[in-house]
Amino acid sequence: METTPTFLSYLYALLAIARGDWRRYWRYPLNAVAQVFQPVIWLTPVFFMGQAFSANGAAEGFAAYTGTTDYMSFILIGTALNNFITAVFWGMGYALKNDMDTGVLESNWLAPIPRPLLLVGKTLSSLLLTAITSASMLVVAGLLFGFRTSGSALAAAAAAIPMLIGLYGFGFAFAALVLVLREANSLVDVSSFLVMLFSGANFPVTVLPRWLLPIALIMPLTYGFDVVRGFLLKTRTLLPIPQEIGLLVFFMFLMVALGLWVFRILERRVRVKGTLGQH
Amino acid sequence: MAVQLEPYAPVPSLARDDFPAKLRAQWAVFTRAWTIFRRYPTWVAAVLIWPVIFPAVYILGARALAGPDGRGLAAFVQATGIQDYIGYIVVGTTVWMWQNIVLWEVGTSLREEQLRGTLESNWLTPTWRFSFLLGSSASQLIEMILFLGISYIEFSLLFGVQFQGNPLLALLVILLCIPSIYGMGFTFASLVITAKEASAFVFLVRGVVMIFCGITFPVLLLPEWMQLVAGWLPQTYMIEAMRMVTLGGADLRAVAPDLAALAGFGVFWLAVGFLVFGWMDRRARQAGTIGQY
Repeated sequence: METTPTFLSYLYALLAIARGDWRRYWRYPLNAVAQVFQPVIWLTPVFFMGQAFSANGAAEGFAAYTGTTDYMSFILIGTALNNFITAVFWGMGYALKNDMDTGVLESNWLAPIPRPLLLVGKTLSSLLLTAITSASMLVVAGLLFGFRTSGSALAAAAAAIPMLIGLYGFGFAFAALVLVLREANSLVDVSSFLVMLFSGANFPVTVLPRWLLPIALIMPLTYGFDVVRGFLLKTRTLLPIPQEIGLLVFFMFLMVALGLWVFRILERRVRVKGTLGQH
Repeated sequence: MAVQLEPYAPVPSLARDDFPAKLRAQWAVFTRAWTIFRRYPTWVAAVLIWPVIFPAVYILGARALAGPDGRGLAAFVQATGIQDYIGYIVVGTTVWMWQNIVLWEVGTSLREEQLRGTLESNWLTPTWRFSFLLGSSASQLIEMILFLGISYIEFSLLFGVQFQGNPLLALLVILLCIPSIYGMGFTFASLVITAKEASAFVFLVRGVVMIFCGITFPVLLLPEWMQLVAGWLPQTYMIEAMRMVTLGGADLRAVAPDLAALAGFGVFWLAVGFLVFGWMDRRARQAGTIGQY
């Protein structure tokens, strides 16, 4: 039987993939609990460390760098956005690897849909799930440590969209790389930690030593974190906000195009070598 | 014709159960674990990269809190009595990393055998079963000595930490840390045989250490009830004693209470590890689940 793909059939496939991932995720609810509480645990030493550096409850030293004494809200925003980085590295990077391990990748590959669509479907569920767990994390951490914003949440969310699309574009390339390497636990672990470190999830990048600062400045995520904090906390930004948004939109197109291109090349390589089903 | 069967007479076992035999079994487990460790190059990342990048997050956070002109540092010095905030952080994070790695590696050593399908056959050998844990822990301890040595060099060269004080006293503190850290690892490994799930336990234990033991801050800043919890955790005393010796130049008399607490915790956790191992082993054998996963 010949199948003629239509826009609607692609949409069905996309939703089927997203629904499958969604159901699998909630099958293990402890994962969701861990995603909410793990960052809170990691932030506890930071909270008390901030107290040690504060005089009369105000982190004046921190304010000199950022323009706000509210270091916990600054870090909480970074942590919430960092959850998406973790989701891309572990969720997207390992999405195809998990399919490989469970033995369904080869049969999925035979489905009459464009292969990047498989990743777009996974992106949809990952974005939604991470948004839910990050929002829950902010509520819990807000109750424990305090979380206050003074700016427009809508503007911040709108500014985060190009950053997240660009990030998931990069996830396409990363997923393909894991497909080639097949076992990349340490690679994923170390690289996600380094991205978190250099994009300034937990501190303003201006505290980096001069020789490391250029690495932070060439990463689009740095501007994403900066602009969201600029909107929500009215912190001093690295560049004027319109320029940072312009950079994020530029990087969004670049990363998606680059991600798809790398995915095509590496996916073809895996098919030529015949290692798609191996793990 | 009826066959007359000889009455069954058990053949005496050739296995010897003396002390040298136990040592040989542990040596065999140790050499196997060491070979497996060297076989996978990811150990380079664990030993070389993590000691730098893990504390870096907290160090850079502290640098931001100190401010460009160091105005926040005065409050920190007042709270801790120590000027070198980088040294203060690396000592705390190193103890945390040590405990974390031991939980993963020693804690899951028997579980991995279970997954590989070799635990049941190893259990049938005429060997003291605790040898399997002791042997793999010895290999892990060598890895950790390497880790601590490299961390010391990296902290001095990359972060400019100037460790001072009596090196022999620092060594004594490290030696007294070993029984508690590995005793917890033994307990953990034994529980995992029956629980068959390690990740959730690791997250719980390392989370408790991270929250209560003052890896980046003085425990005195914690609310009173949290300080009470911290007092029951050996890592609190490890971090405190190590900071006092290596950053504050404290002498034996100054850290004696911490060392006494560490010795007590060491005996306690080794005993708990040994007893829990025996209990879990019996339970798993009675339920017939030793090879299941």
